[in-house]
Amino acid sequence: MSDLTTQASHMATRLRAGEVAALARAISLVDSREELGSQIHRAVRPYAGQAEVIGITGPPGAGKSTLLNALVSALRSNNKRVAVVAVDPSSPITGGAVLGDRTRMGEHTSDKGVFIRSLAARGHLGGLSAGILKIIDLVDAAGWDVVLLETVGAGQSETEVAEVADINVVVNAPGLGDDVQAIKAGILEIADVLVVNKADSPLAQRTERQLKAMLQLRREECADVPVINTVATTGEGVDLLLSAIVEQASAKFNSNKNKRLIDRVRRLVAQEAAAQAKQVILSDQHPATLALFEGILAGECGYEEATMQLMSKCYTHTECA
Amino acid sequence: MSASLNEQSFRVQETEERSLDAAENQWKEDYAKQIGANNEEIKNMSGITVDPLYTPDNIKDTDTYLKQSGYPGQFPYTRGIYSTMHRGKTWTQRQLVGLGTPADYNKRVRTMLELGANAISLLPCNSGFRGVDCDVVPLPLLGTCGTVVNNVDHMDTCLEQVPIDQISAAMNDPSPFTLFAFMLNVAKRRGISWDKITGTSNQSDYISHFVANHMFYRLSLPGSRRVLVDHIEFCRERVPNWNPMSVVGQHIQQTGATLAETVGFTLSSAIQHAEDCLARGMDPDEILPRFTFFFDVSINFFEEVAKFRAARRIWARIARDRLGAKDPKSWRLKFHAQTSGVDLTAQQPLNNIARTAVQAMAGIFGGLQSMHTDAYDEPFTTPTAKTAKIAVATQNILREEAHLCDVIDPLGGSYYIERLTDQMEQEALAVMAKIDAAGGMYKAVEVGLVQTMCGESSMANQELIESGKKRIVGVNCYQDEEEEKIEVETTRPDPVLMQKHIDEFKAFKKNRSQQAVAKALDNLTRAANSDDENVFASVVEATGAGVTHGEIISCLRTELGFGHPLIIA
Amino acid sequence: MEKVFPNVTGTPARALITKIGFDGHDRGSRIVAAYLRDAGMEVIYTPPWQEIDAVVQLALQEDVDLIGISSLATDHLIVPDLMQKLSDAGLSEIEVFIGGIIPEQERPMLIEAGLGGIFGPGSSREEIVECAQRLAATARLNKQKAMAVAS
Repeated sequence: MSDLTTQASHMATRLRAGEVAALARAISLVDSREELGSQIHRAVRPYAGQAEVIGITGPPGAGKSTLLNALVSALRSNNKRVAVVAVDPSSPITGGAVLGDRTRMGEHTSDKGVFIRSLAARGHLGGLSAGILKIIDLVDAAGWDVVLLETVGAGQSETEVAEVADINVVVNAPGLGDDVQAIKAGILEIADVLVVNKADSPLAQRTERQLKAMLQLRREECADVPVINTVATTGEGVDLLLSAIVEQASAKFNSNKNKRLIDRVRRLVAQEAAAQAKQVILSDQHPATLALFEGILAGECGYEEATMQLMSKCYTHTECA
Repeated sequence: MSASLNEQSFRVQETEERSLDAAENQWKEDYAKQIGANNEEIKNMSGITVDPLYTPDNIKDTDTYLKQSGYPGQFPYTRGIYSTMHRGKTWTQRQLVGLGTPADYNKRVRTMLELGANAISLLPCNSGFRGVDCDVVPLPLLGTCGTVVNNVDHMDTCLEQVPIDQISAAMNDPSPFTLFAFMLNVAKRRGISWDKITGTSNQSDYISHFVANHMFYRLSLPGSRRVLVDHIEFCRERVPNWNPMSVVGQHIQQTGATLAETVGFTLSSAIQHAEDCLARGMDPDEILPRFTFFFDVSINFFEEVAKFRAARRIWARIARDRLGAKDPKSWRLKFHAQTSGVDLTAQQPLNNIARTAVQAMAGIFGGLQSMHTDAYDEPFTTPTAKTAKIAVATQNILREEAHLCDVIDPLGGSYYIERLTDQMEQEALAVMAKIDAAGGMYKAVEVGLVQTMCGESSMANQELIESGKKRIVGVNCYQDEEEEKIEVETTRPDPVLMQKHIDEFKAFKKNRSQQAVAKALDNLTRAANSDDENVFASVVEATGAGVTHGEIISCLRTELGFGHPLIIA
Repeated sequence: MEKVFPNVTGTPARALITKIGFDGHDRGSRIVAAYLRDAGMEVIYTPPWQEIDAVVQLALQEDVDLIGISSLATDHLIVPDLMQKLSDAGLSEIEVFIGGIIPEQERPMLIEAGLGGIFGPGSSREEIVECAQRLAATARLNKQKAMAVAS
């Protein structure tokens, strides 16, 4: 496949030189799981790692996109080159999607220091994050300083995608019905910074209190998760948010770039492992495995014990894709 | 105990509900007073006298008549807001005009007035709606759908020899109402005092713009709200015969809402605007008499008639009971209707003349106060002089030949219409309850509730058309395979004249006092950032100092926020 | 509806639905966006009033195959301008189609500028989707060829 290798090599060179067309095309190829895409990714992978990846998620109506827009402006005024990767769900029936997040980015479309890419989840079950991480590697290698990764707070995929980010910001807003119930427990777990947007609403203080209360209920270290008030439409609080993000990053990684990258890889591999193990176990008809299941039912061993036994099996049985 | 309670309630009923006789006498009195010189007997082709009004007396059935229908000009106004309605004074013929340069507009509007239009309407160029001046726009996009008006001089030319102290003018201009500001300055130049100025700020309803994702919003949602209340306050004091508030149902219906939804959303918007004014300290009776409404009228003939009757009834109750207005003038839903372009087709376009006639009839039977009829080439272009004439003639025919003005609410009493009116009312009230539950129209629009509901109705309607269940002549039935492509004349402004207009505008900008302009913009900026200054007053002053349309909007977008779409439904 | 993407492993086509110029009526473009989504495409949807330069940037970054323009006023008159700028930016493989009110006498000009489809009022869902899929497939093919040539 030397033809492909040549193509990949050329694309990689152009991408790293900052050519937007090359980056955009490379993203499409990786997103489509094409061999050419994989080759390009492997070629640029060593050059990735500089970009800080910040995840932004939250329920619909919280004003995420508007806040994102304000964050981009703030980062730009700090002279950062900013990339936005916005992930929307695909229709499980037709496979299509409407990606409308660019709607809010009007003022940044002519700024050469901003790159925006809309992605559809494409129904990749359990493989979403790996694909997105590869795409982020491409963006990273193309020289973008910050990647804002936005997901629609609508399902399980957001917690998966959150593992890709170094710092996760979860945006909530008052009056979204049932207040913080709108933030499912899963997302709250992964938040490094919590935001109460539309903070000018009379209900905002209550939302802030409820979030802080929920944090106390989690673990000890969650007391350190800051809750920032913003009014995305006016930009109020956005600088505070940026500072909070920077602070959390430094606390987490202590400016150790390698730690940051290794941590990320570890999380992704853990996620992949879970996904792959699940696939294997769901289809495992080996008599020894079935006997294990019977053992659980008979009370001979617990779920945890049984799983441990299977895990050591999996490590030998699983094939790498 | 129960006996005396029954007595009490009977007595209460007696005093609250007047007898049919008393109401009828009241109406006869009002009618006689208001009809004036028009009080002639009318006989039809068969020699039968045509009365101005028909009531249950004519069919010996008076159940609920007073409560639900009543007499025209009496609460709850179901049959009409005035005692005489069109028999006393025909509806205003107010055709939308907007094309090319101000000189082009002036020529067309004077033709319309000669043909029988008795009020004018100005539609600015799309670039104007977008909030930019002509000197930054590609030439092919100027003046194709509206007139390019960017300063007071342009407005002066538009209104040359138009007696604005005598005829009513509608300015189709959203926040911050620069066109009206230009017009006020023209009045000043002509020595006309502002209390002689009549007409309507036709696109003042920013909520309808945000709902229908329409092209008329310029400022952010909260910014528009602020400027609207300022505008209403200003007009209440300084231009007391102008209607600063036009609550718009047209965009909502055109974007796909059902007719009942349209009534629900529109009246909810009216409540929101009224409440915003009341919160500012204004009295309902100070502002509600100058609230007008603007609806689309589609070809769903009977449904439209019922829609308007229901809307009047609901609004009367809201104005009196919810908003606390005491003056009957505050309870009356005055409206302008435009025949709906959505029903017109590009296929076999001459058929649109028939469609417009039916729509116009529905509007007339619905009791409108003012009407615009579309021309048949609406699906292709801004009307030419020829097609515009036909549109006006349609109204004249309905009035002069079909005698649609002779009887007030002639469909009243029809079993169908009365039942349908009740049903439309129920549907509309259900929608309004949803909006109330969401905290009012402003909040509902902010979170996208209204847009989503409209989007669903729109898709449902599209499905009906696609599946052929909704039949449209010439489109999905009775198609003409060999239809001659009618060479539809597209109206395009003369590029040479338009370029001249731009060049003159550039020269104007160069020659005006830059100091005065800078000062005016400073004042405007300050007003926008203050809590108690009237932004619209500053806009009027600024336009007088030579500040242009685009400059004002750019300034206010910066200070009060740029209007972006809220949601893609 | 069958997806037609030769030589590509069933990846959804990427379409941009937008409006340039000044008209703001977007009911039609929203409906078309929904049609294309239901036909399995990934649709990037923008509100009206997009600057031509912004559209070109967007098309570049999002690597779209197809651009659908909705034009109801006279905004179609500046479409040739868009086509030129797409070409200048190295994006001539992207196919463009237009829908809305386009007078007969002005259509030849648009075809000459390179438009792949013109849809007036009354166009059916089937027609629009079929054309969009065909154009997207063409764009994909041409992009692949261009990439092979470049290296």
